[in-house]
Amino acid sequence: MEALQKFYRENRTLVTWLMVAAVFIVFYLLTQERLNSLRPSRMVQTTITGLLVGGVYALIALGIVLINKASGVFNFAQGYMMLFGGMLFYSFFSTPNVNPLAAGALAFGTVLMVLAMNGWRELRNLRSLGIGVAAVVVLTLLMSWQGEDVRMLRAIVGGITGSVFVGLFIERFTIRPLIGQPLFTMVLMTLAVSEILKGFVNLIWGSVPISLQIFSGLERLGLPNTIRWEAEFLQGRVVVRTDLLVTFFLALAAFVGFVLFFRYTNVGLAMRASAENQQLAQSVGLRVRVILAVAWGITAILAMLAGVLQGGASQLDLNLPFVAFSAFPAVLLGGLESITGALVGGLIIGLVQDWGNLLYGNQAGTELMPYLVLMIVLIIRPDGLFGEKRIERI
Amino acid sequence: MASNIRPAGVFDTSYAQDMKINRTRTSRFLANAAFVAVLLLPLLTAEGGLGLSVVPAVWVGIVVRIAIYTIAVIGLNILMGYTGQISLGHAAFVGVGAYSGALMARLWGIPFWIAVPLAGLFTALVGLLFGLPSLRVKGFYLAMATLAAQFIIPWLMRYPMERLTNGSRPLEVPDPQFFGFSFGPQVVMYYLIIPLAVLMAFLARNLTRSRVGRALISVRDNDLAAELLGINVFRYKLLAFFVSSFYAGVAGALWAFDIGSLSLDKFNLALSIEFLAMLIIGGAGFPLGPLFGVAFINILRENIIPNVVSNFKVVLPNVFPFIAVADVESSLVPFLFGLALVIFLIVEPRGLAYRWEILRIAWKIRPYAY
Amino acid sequence: MRKVVLLLVLALTLSLFVLPTSAQLPEFIKHTECEVDLTGETITIYHFGDISGPYAFITQPLLAGLADTIAYWNAHGGICGAMLTTDNKDTGGNPAQTQAHYDYYRALEPKPQLIVLYASGDAELLRNQVAADQIPVIISAGSVEGLYGEDGQTPGWIYATNPLYVDQLGMFCEFVGANPAEFPDPVIAYVSWAGAFGEAAFMPEAIDYCAEQGVKILPEPQYFRPTDTDISTQILNAVDAGANIIYTNSLASGPALIAKTLNDLGLLDEVKLSGVNWALDTSVGLLGRTSLADNGLPAVNGMYGSLPFRWWSEVQHPGVAFNRELATANERALSVQNIAYILGSTLVDLYHEIYVRTVNRVGSLSAITGSDIKETLDNIDYNPLDMYNVNFANGARRSTTGNRIAQMFFINATMTGPATSGDDAMKIPNPDGTNIFVPILVPRTEVQDVPDLRPGN
Repeated sequence: MEALQKFYRENRTLVTWLMVAAVFIVFYLLTQERLNSLRPSRMVQTTITGLLVGGVYALIALGIVLINKASGVFNFAQGYMMLFGGMLFYSFFSTPNVNPLAAGALAFGTVLMVLAMNGWRELRNLRSLGIGVAAVVVLTLLMSWQGEDVRMLRAIVGGITGSVFVGLFIERFTIRPLIGQPLFTMVLMTLAVSEILKGFVNLIWGSVPISLQIFSGLERLGLPNTIRWEAEFLQGRVVVRTDLLVTFFLALAAFVGFVLFFRYTNVGLAMRASAENQQLAQSVGLRVRVILAVAWGITAILAMLAGVLQGGASQLDLNLPFVAFSAFPAVLLGGLESITGALVGGLIIGLVQDWGNLLYGNQAGTELMPYLVLMIVLIIRPDGLFGEKRIERI
Repeated sequence: MASNIRPAGVFDTSYAQDMKINRTRTSRFLANAAFVAVLLLPLLTAEGGLGLSVVPAVWVGIVVRIAIYTIAVIGLNILMGYTGQISLGHAAFVGVGAYSGALMARLWGIPFWIAVPLAGLFTALVGLLFGLPSLRVKGFYLAMATLAAQFIIPWLMRYPMERLTNGSRPLEVPDPQFFGFSFGPQVVMYYLIIPLAVLMAFLARNLTRSRVGRALISVRDNDLAAELLGINVFRYKLLAFFVSSFYAGVAGALWAFDIGSLSLDKFNLALSIEFLAMLIIGGAGFPLGPLFGVAFINILRENIIPNVVSNFKVVLPNVFPFIAVADVESSLVPFLFGLALVIFLIVEPRGLAYRWEILRIAWKIRPYAY
Repeated sequence: MRKVVLLLVLALTLSLFVLPTSAQLPEFIKHTECEVDLTGETITIYHFGDISGPYAFITQPLLAGLADTIAYWNAHGGICGAMLTTDNKDTGGNPAQTQAHYDYYRALEPKPQLIVLYASGDAELLRNQVAADQIPVIISAGSVEGLYGEDGQTPGWIYATNPLYVDQLGMFCEFVGANPAEFPDPVIAYVSWAGAFGEAAFMPEAIDYCAEQGVKILPEPQYFRPTDTDISTQILNAVDAGANIIYTNSLASGPALIAKTLNDLGLLDEVKLSGVNWALDTSVGLLGRTSLADNGLPAVNGMYGSLPFRWWSEVQHPGVAFNRELATANERALSVQNIAYILGSTLVDLYHEIYVRTVNRVGSLSAITGSDIKETLDNIDYNPLDMYNVNFANGARRSTTGNRIAQMFFINATMTGPATSGDDAMKIPNPDGTNIFVPILVPRTEVQDVPDLRPGN
């Protein structure tokens, strides 16, 4: 054991690359026969589908990375926040006449949570109180705007309002009281929050799957359901689902939007500062509590978006959160702190899953491959592809 | 350690006394009494043969399950409570133990009293394998490695090893035999499992208060400092994985022989989370934590929540017409379970065992809180 | 939405018998006569299963069917005067919960004499325990292991009211083999959910039996999860391996997703879709509405499957009429009028017969034990609501044997038969911008016995 350890310490690079090589050789030997029998169209098809499915993973991963950057918590509840956001969106989307009272209550709750981000005494400030009242009125009007034509607008406003409320609520009442507790208390807390969200969604929306028709508008725009591509060299046909394509680009757009937001505001920097050392950040004048709250609010919006897109591409039901279990490896693959990593990791996991299904069958792609990749990454490059190198001895 | 606090004037006068688990007569009496009471329990049921039916027969099964869960959670306690390494894959290791124990009995007819420790050893080796990433990562990263175990192990058992494990189909476990004597009825299993659980708990207690245990604690508290003190951190982390998985494996094998039929779906992530919840609610790093946690979650799940739910079943749909009666139960169970966890984590993040220690101290030093 | 569905329900029930409103059960239900009056007593239907997991589409209507029928029964004399009630719990698809719930029921005083389960996985888990506790169990459809143990030859205490999954696949192969014009060179790919239920029919016995019928089943099954967004890889794997028929042991979104994928890939004409009895269900027809084939009908149009009992569209049948009346009276939406609602209502009738027979033999309700019920079940030959035959008397079979193959179509605008294209189909606009098509099932064969494909036979 001792000698082995010594050998490893002295030849770390060599051992690592030998292991990488071994893994690739094993994979090649396992797949050689199957690969040779595949038509090019299958490979192209699988690559495209995998990437498109990976778009949502990237969005989920981004949310987890954000929380981790700001507060150092790995948010296992992301999947259930997704489900909740998606369901909320669905309610505003499919109900032509939203009860103004309910909408008002939701708006009031959200605005209250936003105002109280830095403590309840903010409510004594008349100016912010005025802004708050105005915001409640505007949000309520938007959310209870009747009619079929504005349902998308209504749903987006309603979904964001509700998600922000839930995000801030979770942060305020479950995460904040735990500051300073050991890591696994935090892990269990996010898992407990998942259970609560699951129960809540089940209570309000029932357990029967709901189909969320956000893509039915595409047909009216004259877009086909699928894009087919046939060519000589493919020896077959490649079919791309339009809804997946739209999902992918919406996810990508959201991604770019958030990246720009962090680039051109100093929120991102402040988040990193507070994650690094909360006391120090506080002492240089950063309002750590606000930063944490903002991070959870944004993450909730991201989760809602991911839930809506995933629910639109398949359906909304209580199993939706399991999609997040494919995104967890993506987070580590890209690196826990890296936004670019979330994108690349998500896409790679999508690819790996579909290629695994293509080559091995038996669910190897969907269930096994993401976590196999995760194990390999953890052993070879524990910081992920784009993660910060942590200089610490273990 | 807080448990060392004793009334003024009570001192240890010998090394043997210092090393006792039950340091005072009262505590020894209580522990023995509890043990005897648990041992007497099956005799007080209608099936006990004494013609008494003071205790419902179903308690026998419940206590057996609590004992098996406790063994598993003690394993988790060694890994998480004492060594500080998070595991989200404990259920998978319990599954490895269950299947390896069952398969040993099925394939080679190994008697169960050999199969159980062998299953533990085999699981320990598997655990060691998944503990290897602890060489390079810790914290959430390590939690992820164990989460990977939770996905990889069941898949391996379901598909590549389908011939052995029956895959998604159930696996029947032969009745445990002891030199031709069959342990069919639950009462007999009870007398087998309970003493074994006590023995396992005793071993764990002794491990954690020995040199090894102190080394593990030092790894948990500060691994750099531990290494400076000359502790081989990596070796102790692996040891923790080994011992923890051994306990998981023994618990799994006992579970297999007790229930008599296995399915892979049982050892899922939900069970891992349940183990985690039991440990943290009970008190990670406390010897009594696992027992408290398992008992509390059992009571919560089987007594408290159903009672609350049955009240809400009528009220909720009446107040809110959009709520379907059929959804009330399925939604309130996870809701209340999560809520209880959240409240617990906020109010008493160190667990029931911590509160117990405080009560004990308060009792011992009464009436003076010096 | 609700109003639309209600209108639809009303429209579809125009040609109904009006049930007698007296305190008697309808004439067509022929029970054994009560010899003991049970007035003032209560019979509880204990049942637990996955209500919130992947099976919610099935279990929720089952609860509705049970509730409606029990209310009706209690208003019409109950079981020899005894009132019915239910005690149900949700497992969420988690086996640890199944065990916990079973412990709850086992501990009840008095011990339940009969329990109803839903999922075959639960039955497999509890098989040995219910035998040890002497509690017979009725489940809707079962796997070999749940009913007969691993060797397929050890009947336990569990009885199924549908044919075994593997037997259903065998019967489908018989049908395919007997119709070479419809299925030239048949090759079946097994594409299904992963897990105990999804994989239940894929057994060597089925493959061998189908080969005897001239039908090849690909040795490599393809599995997916209920949460998967895209399964084109699995479908193409199957098609590349030569499959021209896909058989699935999934329900609700499962068959709908396969049909959608086939449609997207342009393979609907080349590959036929078929499935287990749960696949031929209203839920699949409703979920399938989002993927329309070139002819304007949902892609699931024409799907084959098992139909082991009478269906909602057989309006002349008194049992069906009874169910329709019940569902209409309770304002049940179209999605609830499905396979599971029928199972719920027939279950109550089956309970009635079981209890009358047992009480007649034993003498009083309180004296009945689990083994008395088992004795009744071992000799029972009864048609619950006349919709299927429950016959466990002929030897050791513990599942029903009657089955037929049917196809799913969508009703046309004049409600005279299946629609041939989207133009003449009955379409009800849905607020989400899609149209609802009303699924109907058209039997292709008469009811006949399924083959016995247990291991060792």
